Amino acid sequence: MKNIIYNTGYFIKEAKTIFKLTFWSNVLSLFSIGLILFILSLVISGWSISTEVLTLIQEEAQINIYTDENLDDINLEKVMEKINSIDGIIETRIVQKEEAYERMEKVLGEDAKVLEYFEDNPFHSFFEAKIDIEKIESIHKELKLISEVRYIRDNREILTRLRSIARAFEILGAFFIAAVGISTVVIISHIIRQGIYNYKEEINTLRLLGASEAFIALPFLMVGLLLTFGGGAIASTLTYMVLIQIYNYLSGPLPFIPLPPFQVMMQDLVLIILSISIVLGIIGSMIGISSSK
Amino acid sequence: MKMIEANQVYLEYRDGTKALNNVNLQINKGEIVYIIGPSGSGKTSLLKLFMGIEQPTSGKLTVLGKEISKEHKKNIREIRRRIGPVFQEFKLIPGRTAIDNVILGMRVLGMPRLQLNKNALEALEKVGLSHKAFSKVDNLSWGERQRVAIARAVARKPSLILADEPTGNLDVNNALRIMELLRSFKDEDTTVIITTHATHLIENLNEGILLKVNKGTIEQESMGRRL
Repeated sequence: MKNIIYNTGYFIKEAKTIFKLTFWSNVLSLFSIGLILFILSLVISGWSISTEVLTLIQEEAQINIYTDENLDDINLEKVMEKINSIDGIIETRIVQKEEAYERMEKVLGEDAKVLEYFEDNPFHSFFEAKIDIEKIESIHKELKLISEVRYIRDNREILTRLRSIARAFEILGAFFIAAVGISTVVIISHIIRQGIYNYKEEINTLRLLGASEAFIALPFLMVGLLLTFGGGAIASTLTYMVLIQIYNYLSGPLPFIPLPPFQVMMQDLVLIILSISIVLGIIGSMIGISSSK
Repeated sequence: MKMIEANQVYLEYRDGTKALNNVNLQINKGEIVYIIGPSGSGKTSLLKLFMGIEQPTSGKLTVLGKEISKEHKKNIREIRRRIGPVFQEFKLIPGRTAIDNVILGMRVLGMPRLQLNKNALEALEKVGLSHKAFSKVDNLSWGERQRVAIARAVARKPSLILADEPTGNLDVNNALRIMELLRSFKDEDTTVIITTHATHLIENLNEGILLKVNKGTIEQESMGRRL
């Protein structure tokens, strides 16, 4: 250990020399690794955003329950009691037909004029129930047993789609982590092996002088780390540039998509990408070093 | 104190070449040993054994108190760290200065940073190359390069200097200078072992031990002979 500390400056100098020896090849590898990690970063951010949206929608899971049109307020209260007694129903409220009309006016905007053609309010009172999304199937069954209930509207379809998107990102993420891991390790180990091959005479001399394997390997390990960490930094910069555009775009025409806070998202991404790059750099270098012995 | 002891040592390479046969010898601290013999006689094989580059096929070999064998490979690094090697082809790092090369020999031992420059300059002074300390080794003559290699070996303050054909690439004048230089380290209580096929370089020397190697055998009549 003492030997390593005494020679830190030497190792850095050696790593610089090794890097310069095949400078352009190393620069290209640096950018290749940067692009590979950038793709990984995009997949991770896609997975993160879809998971966030899914969680928020699940937290706000709500169903609308429509009953017979001719129920009066007393009967509506009775039905509400029955609904509230179902396991998985968190909270229920009655949306009076006046409120339903106002809501539709808002939804239609300028086209709300069509509502004026109706002599009476065409909407009826209904129930809005906040539910535990995990129990949606049993809630449906229970609601169908209430004779006054005519129709149930939920966002199950949207949730199912979002779930499949999040799942796809998850699978894609796992696939990309594996693919990125393998390709980066292969690139790095190949570069390190090439560097060791170029340095074989010097390495042989160092061994004859009694240098430890750690002493010989450290500059190569540093080069491997420099390449992956540099690649991670490039990937983080590119991700920042792309995500800031996506956030700007989504907060304009699509403000209802609940995105995770940008700063938090970027911090987490940078941390993940740089950690992955360090781990891959170490693994790749170690494989390159051990396969050259 | 025994620096090297070989008992019934045999060395056979993987291709079946028998390099050394029944080597028995003992080299003590502070001795200077010349190993002579024609090319292919086994001189370099003997030195390779001493450095742990090869391990004996059979027999027992102890260098600096540690056994060299296939079963004791971890000893090899420890032994090498106490040896100052000088190679025929110098084995200097190209593109680096003379002082960088000398320092590298000490770096691997973990010598403190402050000691590196001091020892390196002292060693270069001893070999008469302090004025070329900051010249790149690529720009030095063969003789100067060999002197840098010797400075690298000496700066490590080794117990044993092993020089394999150190004059092989040099003209007569430079060769004599190198031999004289190596011989001078014996006075510092360091054991020096030199292989050479140029017997004329040691004809006029009046001290040391001569080992004659021929076809892998150290001839009995020459072993331990005082010059």
